[in-house]
Amino acid sequence: MYESALNERQRRVDWLMVAAVLGLMLLGVIFIASAKMAEETARQVPWYGQFFFKQIVWCGAGLGLAGVTCVLDYRVLSRWSLVAYGLLVLCLVAVLIPGIGTTHGWGARRWIDLGPLQFQPSEFAKLGFIFALAHFLSRPRKELRQWPVFGRALGLTVLPFVLVLLEPDLGSALVLLPVGLLMMLVAGVPAAYLQRLLAGAGLLVALILIDVLFAPPGWQIKLEDYQRRRLLVYFGRDYAPPNATAAERQRLRDASSYNVRQALISVGSGGLTGKGWGRGMQSTLGYLPRSVAHNDFIFSVIAEEKGFMGSVTVIALYGVVLFSGIRTAGQARDRLGRLLAVGVVTLIFSHVFINIGMNIRLMPVTGIPLPLLSYGGSSVLCFLIAIGILQNVHIYRKSY
Amino acid sequence: MITAVQRRRMWAMKGLLALAFLGLGFRLVDLQVLRHDRLSQLAKDYTQRTFFFKPHRGDIRDRRGNLLATSVPVKTLCADPTLIKHPGGDYCDEVGQALAPLLSLNQADLVPRLQPRYQLNEQGQVVTHTNGLPVMNRYVVLKRKVSLDQWLQVTQAMFQLSTQAMARAQAAAKNQGRKLKLAEQNYYIGLGSKAIFAEDDQERVYPQQRLASHVLGHVGAGERPVGGRDYLEMIGMDGVELTLNPALVGVPGWRRTEIDRKQREVVAHRDQDVAPRNGLNVVLTLDARIQEMAEEVLEEAMQKHHPISASAIVMEPRTGSILAMATLPNFNPNQPNLSPMDALRNRVVTDLAEPGSTFKIVVVTGALNEGLVRLEEVFDCEQGLFHFHGKPLRDHERFGNLTVEQIITKSSNIGAAKIGIKMGPDLLRRYIRQFGFGERSGIPLVGERLGTVKMVKNWDKLSISRIPMGQEVDVTPLQMVMAMGALANGGMLMRPMLIDRIEDEQGRTVAKYQPQAARRVCREETAQLMVRALKTVVATNGTASKARLENYAVAGKTGTAQKVIGGVYAPDKYFSSFVGFFPAERPELCILVVLDEPERKRGYYGGQIAAPIFAALAERAANYLGIQPDRATEDSPLTSGMTNKLAAAAAN
Repeated sequence: MYESALNERQRRVDWLMVAAVLGLMLLGVIFIASAKMAEETARQVPWYGQFFFKQIVWCGAGLGLAGVTCVLDYRVLSRWSLVAYGLLVLCLVAVLIPGIGTTHGWGARRWIDLGPLQFQPSEFAKLGFIFALAHFLSRPRKELRQWPVFGRALGLTVLPFVLVLLEPDLGSALVLLPVGLLMMLVAGVPAAYLQRLLAGAGLLVALILIDVLFAPPGWQIKLEDYQRRRLLVYFGRDYAPPNATAAERQRLRDASSYNVRQALISVGSGGLTGKGWGRGMQSTLGYLPRSVAHNDFIFSVIAEEKGFMGSVTVIALYGVVLFSGIRTAGQARDRLGRLLAVGVVTLIFSHVFINIGMNIRLMPVTGIPLPLLSYGGSSVLCFLIAIGILQNVHIYRKSY
Repeated sequence: MITAVQRRRMWAMKGLLALAFLGLGFRLVDLQVLRHDRLSQLAKDYTQRTFFFKPHRGDIRDRRGNLLATSVPVKTLCADPTLIKHPGGDYCDEVGQALAPLLSLNQADLVPRLQPRYQLNEQGQVVTHTNGLPVMNRYVVLKRKVSLDQWLQVTQAMFQLSTQAMARAQAAAKNQGRKLKLAEQNYYIGLGSKAIFAEDDQERVYPQQRLASHVLGHVGAGERPVGGRDYLEMIGMDGVELTLNPALVGVPGWRRTEIDRKQREVVAHRDQDVAPRNGLNVVLTLDARIQEMAEEVLEEAMQKHHPISASAIVMEPRTGSILAMATLPNFNPNQPNLSPMDALRNRVVTDLAEPGSTFKIVVVTGALNEGLVRLEEVFDCEQGLFHFHGKPLRDHERFGNLTVEQIITKSSNIGAAKIGIKMGPDLLRRYIRQFGFGERSGIPLVGERLGTVKMVKNWDKLSISRIPMGQEVDVTPLQMVMAMGALANGGMLMRPMLIDRIEDEQGRTVAKYQPQAARRVCREETAQLMVRALKTVVATNGTASKARLENYAVAGKTGTAQKVIGGVYAPDKYFSSFVGFFPAERPELCILVVLDEPERKRGYYGGQIAAPIFAALAERAANYLGIQPDRATEDSPLTSGMTNKLAAAAAN
């Protein structure tokens, strides 16, 4: 192999993005500690068994993986992408089988138990999907205009989408769609196709929503109970049976909208400067439920304890990561790199927007983690690898 | 190569991203800056709780430590109807049936109050949640002032009721071949332990019932805002309870703290924890035994003479301390609302009357003190009919020449009028005011009246002849006894003293009150002369021979005033009184007895009906206090010595 001037390695990572990523991870560890501090059972665990320390370990491991990812040329990596995609699809199928997948008592079958560790294939499936689709789409533009090619690209998207939906994990499934869509758009799939696709998907979603919200019980498609409830709550509707009394209706409504309402109160009561680390009453006194405060609702904890300053800092850090990502995409040496960067940026953005939106009641509750901030090994590893890919594209960018 | 399309799409992406972040930022400004106050209030409503600690209202005791008023802990019984009627079952009837007999409430009244209802606000509108559904009321007061014993019975009854209900439900579930769910079990547990609950309160108890009721007063419930919430407390409504309310009531304590989602207090987050300061105890100058004696003799008088009211005051002339202040009819301060309004009035300070002849001490003292007359000086009493400015003035007997001393002894109106004419209006009025008439005595009781002493310019031609005998002036019985006390005290008018000291819970004195002289009314020699004259009143030829005591020389003065009703003297309505002190030369007690409108058939003269009451009360009080006799009875010096020793022993 020879190295031409075109293929020259820049030998420089994007330090600004790295700094933002480190900042986010640091914030995550600090506020996971705060969210877990008030919980008596969690406090009795030795320091190395506590959540924040586990998160540090995951971050360390993730940084290692990201380092490996950004050293190997993404073109080499992408050769294995279809293999990885296949393996991950197998994992997604396996997780649905009761003997292999575990539920963690959550009602959804999302984890594969590996002894001391649990592995959440849907998180890695997002990465595999991005790699595979980027690999598939980085072909001559002419081919992309052919319907069969477009159809196969669509298939690549729909397969993991359906499998993740079956777990069921609506949130993780849904983020695959904008990622796929945007990658196709950037790859050069004709806009008309995408418009038609979008219109069709929009129609489908509208029909599903109308069905869930308004149709008589016999006609409704089968959603998990909690998913249906979340949707109804977001649209401000009751889901109590028609013969329920006012008191029962109220209790059900209170119970279901509880998390969102408490998150909203947490964010709002933080004010401009917040109540101080470890002093957020909503989280320390358990009003913001302890089971979710350190993962899906970590943003509420930060917003309550550090106020508007804290939440703007978080958003600004994500802004730095995402805008540097877009710049990286613009400077990518080839279409594969650009597609990879666009996919990762869209993935991160979707997570950030949906999660923060859920915390401040702009989005329905879907239960997807906030990248690099929320507690969770699979999620942290996945997003650090994603950052590694971005850095990889950055390192092998055009030098002219 | 980047195509133009790709560049555009890149910019579109950046734009979209910026827009989305702007949206998030906008929402964050909305929540964290604009709606911060409302949302943090919501957060506080969840977590912050303020509890009040009610202070113990101070006790009231007499000078010997007898408890006259105290506070005992009681419970306010409340219900949470949502735990009594529930989709799991309706237990209103059962609970009503169990509690009604325990609380002596009517079951038919109790059961509807256990039914769940919507919560209403001040305007009577249904309070709703943010989503428009009504809020259920979870706080109903069933009964106040429930004793601790009753409360124990209630908890026991509720526990049994819920146990039986749960057993029934378990049996029913077993028939259906299932077990009770945890939620269902919790429902029965809640019915037993939380559906009926109690709040701490205290009740004012007057263990001596009616004794000294007018002095003590009574309490009522008062509400005042403390820290933005209504705080319910006992406040004094009358008597010492009212005037010393600030000392008795104490200071409520409070705790501001936070609770977690499971309603447990987070002790570390108590940011205000202030212990209540209990009320101070008040020690009166009253002596409950003398008070009781006074009320007993007045009760006998009420039986015998059927007056509208009868009053007595026992006072220590040297200090002005009130040892007893009794008025009948009285009331039971434990249940003040059961008595007619009339009975609540402490007539010795609130009711004015023309005093009649007892007032003659003023004119005679004044004339003696000014050297205008001597006790031996003789006045012509005109055989009982004296025309002054064309109007007749009568005596109750036809007197000829009387010395000043005899004018007192016989209570001659004509003699008193002539002394008054000799003094002149200005001097007479000055002495009246010096004796404390027309001003408040300063006793710490509410509703005290000043009385009326007309300005000289408002006197008519007859006034100078009428005022000396106690007409055209209005005085309170308290003023009269204090005036007589001034003569007993060598001419020094004292302020009446009702509060001896104020103590804290441990019995340490916080404030000790000292006797206070109001002013000197006359020279000491004049007072001695007056004592000499007043002693003759009780002699066999005086108006108050029935006030004589076996072992003590008594000085005093009778009064029989026709009552003024509608501006004219009513022919058969009298205000009969006797005020006197003993032992005459070194007085220990000054006692006033007043009967308002006694029935005429058993006599109405002060000397006839008030003097014996004085004697009875004085005799018993003297025995109780062990006052050294100044008059050994000739027949048995031994026995009198014995009684003395016994009395002294009893007093110890």
